[in-house]
Amino acid sequence: MKTLVKIAFKNLNRQKKRSFLLGGAIAFGIMVVTIINGFAGAFAKNIAGNMADLFAGHVFVEGVEKSAKGKPVEVIRDATVLNEALAASRVDSRLVQKRSAADATLVFEGKKANQSIWGADFANESYLKRRLVLKEGSYDDLLAPNSLVLSEKVARKLKAELGDKVLVQLKTVSGQNNVGEFTLRGITHDMGLFSNMLAYASRDDLNSLLALGPEEFQLYGIMLDDLSKAEPARDALVAALKARAQVFELSAAEVSPSGAAGMQSRYYKLNRLAKKESWEGAKYRVFTINDMISQVEELVKVLNSASLVILAVLFVIIMVGISNTFRMVMYERIREIGTMRALGMQRPSVKRLFLLEAGFLATGGTLAGLAAAGLVMLILSLFDFGTGTFFSLLMRNGHLTFAVGPVQAALNFVIVLALTLLAAYLPARKASRLEPAVALRSTK
Amino acid sequence: MVIVELSDVRKVYPLGKVEVEAVKGVSFAIEKGDFISIAGPSGSGKTTILNMIGCVDRPTSGIVTIAGTPTKDLKDKDLTTLRHDTLGFIFQTFNLVPVLNVRENVEFPLLLGKERGSKKEREEWIDYLIEEVGLTQWAKHRPNELSGGQRQRVAIARALVGKPQIVLADEPTANLDSKTGEQILELMKKINREMETTFIFSTHDARIVNIADHVIRLQDGLVVENVRKGEDAIAATAAEAAEAGQGGRS
Ligand SMILES: Nc1ncnc2c1ncn2[C@@H]1O[C@H](COP(=O)(O)OP(=O)(O)OP(=O)(O)O)[C@@H](O)[C@H]1O
Ligand SMILES: [Mg+2]
Repeated sequence: MKTLVKIAFKNLNRQKKRSFLLGGAIAFGIMVVTIINGFAGAFAKNIAGNMADLFAGHVFVEGVEKSAKGKPVEVIRDATVLNEALAASRVDSRLVQKRSAADATLVFEGKKANQSIWGADFANESYLKRRLVLKEGSYDDLLAPNSLVLSEKVARKLKAELGDKVLVQLKTVSGQNNVGEFTLRGITHDMGLFSNMLAYASRDDLNSLLALGPEEFQLYGIMLDDLSKAEPARDALVAALKARAQVFELSAAEVSPSGAAGMQSRYYKLNRLAKKESWEGAKYRVFTINDMISQVEELVKVLNSASLVILAVLFVIIMVGISNTFRMVMYERIREIGTMRALGMQRPSVKRLFLLEAGFLATGGTLAGLAAAGLVMLILSLFDFGTGTFFSLLMRNGHLTFAVGPVQAALNFVIVLALTLLAAYLPARKASRLEPAVALRSTK
Repeated sequence: MVIVELSDVRKVYPLGKVEVEAVKGVSFAIEKGDFISIAGPSGSGKTTILNMIGCVDRPTSGIVTIAGTPTKDLKDKDLTTLRHDTLGFIFQTFNLVPVLNVRENVEFPLLLGKERGSKKEREEWIDYLIEEVGLTQWAKHRPNELSGGQRQRVAIARALVGKPQIVLADEPTANLDSKTGEQILELMKKINREMETTFIFSTHDARIVNIADHVIRLQDGLVVENVRKGEDAIAATAAEAAEAGQGGRS
């Protein structure tokens, strides 16, 4: 076997150009797929991380009361119980923010736009100050009363400019229509799909429009030092909160159901509970950023499966090349095969010799492909793509980041190895079945 | 002691729709330790017969017995083992493994079968053979760095490394100039005497049959002369052989 390994390895060096081309094709395939995997791997993390900044937290608590008519009213009237539970849960929080939010209709000179608006604490939310990149206006101006921040897209739709007064129509927490006037004091860069998350007013102003008291709010956001700690923190907080208040909880079957419901986010399911259940007083739901964007994880799965399909398609093409090459190799080395057979090499060894060569090719190609992918990812991550676009949500601070799991890389390698061996198998078998006399007589 | 015996061996090649009868019923026996020349013009069937003795090809009919083993019913695997254990090969075109150096080429057959002897013994044996064929300084060189004569010396060492009872050489000197060819033949003869290995080589050069103990001359797929030194012609003509039903010594 050692001899076969040695010869197979040396055989690869015989036709350097050819090995280089085939190995290069394999490397290219691996590179493309690894980059896609790497992007997909970091994609969910970056979205979650960026969303955590926009939402001002990794773990959130919402409070729900039932109105007299049995409708859910989203409000947290007093943060005391939450603060106590947070302290008792020993969750290591960096900061806590309290926000309210409303789905509103904006009206300006006859033009309308639907928009959800955050009621944020402009004066104290340090994260928001850092993350909210304003295209027009300055953050300090937002401290003035009745300030409104909109995304460029929405502002353009309303044809509103900085300083314009925009009407905000919404329903109070108890369902009454209400309207207020806000001044547009900040315009953010357009972020496509995510523009909708980029409208802010001061919490006090929004609260009065929502008929909430100044100390009342809707979303209790807890910022951790790392996103990866979100799920354990959520569970610890639920445990601590249960001892002090009512908490919505999903049954195990609801958390990971089979079938189509698997696509629904945990947040969506928690939300549904508030409609079904009835209770007295305040009841809380606790969730993480990931619970809200579980669709993103689905997207990552789709991306990864797509990359597997790309890998397969690329390799079917490459396999044709490998198969043809090995057939050629068989004819080129036909006399050598005959000689080895005459000297006492058994048939399976001839086959093994070919397959080893193919295996080395796949291994070398994969290693080169991984190295190339690493290099490309490194170079791509050096570029600053800016933070003003939708795509910046997929990045970290305007830089592409990549994460390739070793399992994914190993899986790609196994697929490539299997396909390469498959491609070389028929020529290898043909070589092993050559009659030594026929092979020796060949004039090649 | 008879080490190779052919008995009414025929070989027919299909060639498109027609058939070519390359060997038309040949019988002879070869004594262990002899230096045998199979002579004859081009197309007379030398390679075909050597291939059948070498177990790389099977006769269409007839019986080939190698070192007491009838090869007729052996499976490919057993034929391969028989080749490995009993036979050594030298080719007209040298047929060295191009990616291996001289020493590795000589060692190669040993790595194909079961290990025999200690590693040290094997190393020494390989060194001895390389020295015997005069290539000690070239041991680390690849075949493409050697002359034709040197390559054939490597092939001789390789053929001997498994201590085969029989070495087959199909026109071993045809690709060499006559002086180098003579040296190769002398080397083979020397080894034949020293190691008592049976050598069977083919040639169409009438001049180099003198060196042989036993000459089998072919013409059109038939034995036309079968003479062992110091003995009478075994079957001088094809007609006699055919008459006798078999041309070999019995
Ligand atoms: N594979 C084959 N298919 C058809 N005919 C063949 C085949 N191999 C050999 N022959 C024919 O069989 C006859 C004997 O061939 P063989 O190669 O044994 O002769 P040879 O004595 O070795 O000749 P040379 O001196 O040219 O090597 C020739 O007529 C040849 O054309
Ligand atoms: Mg011949």
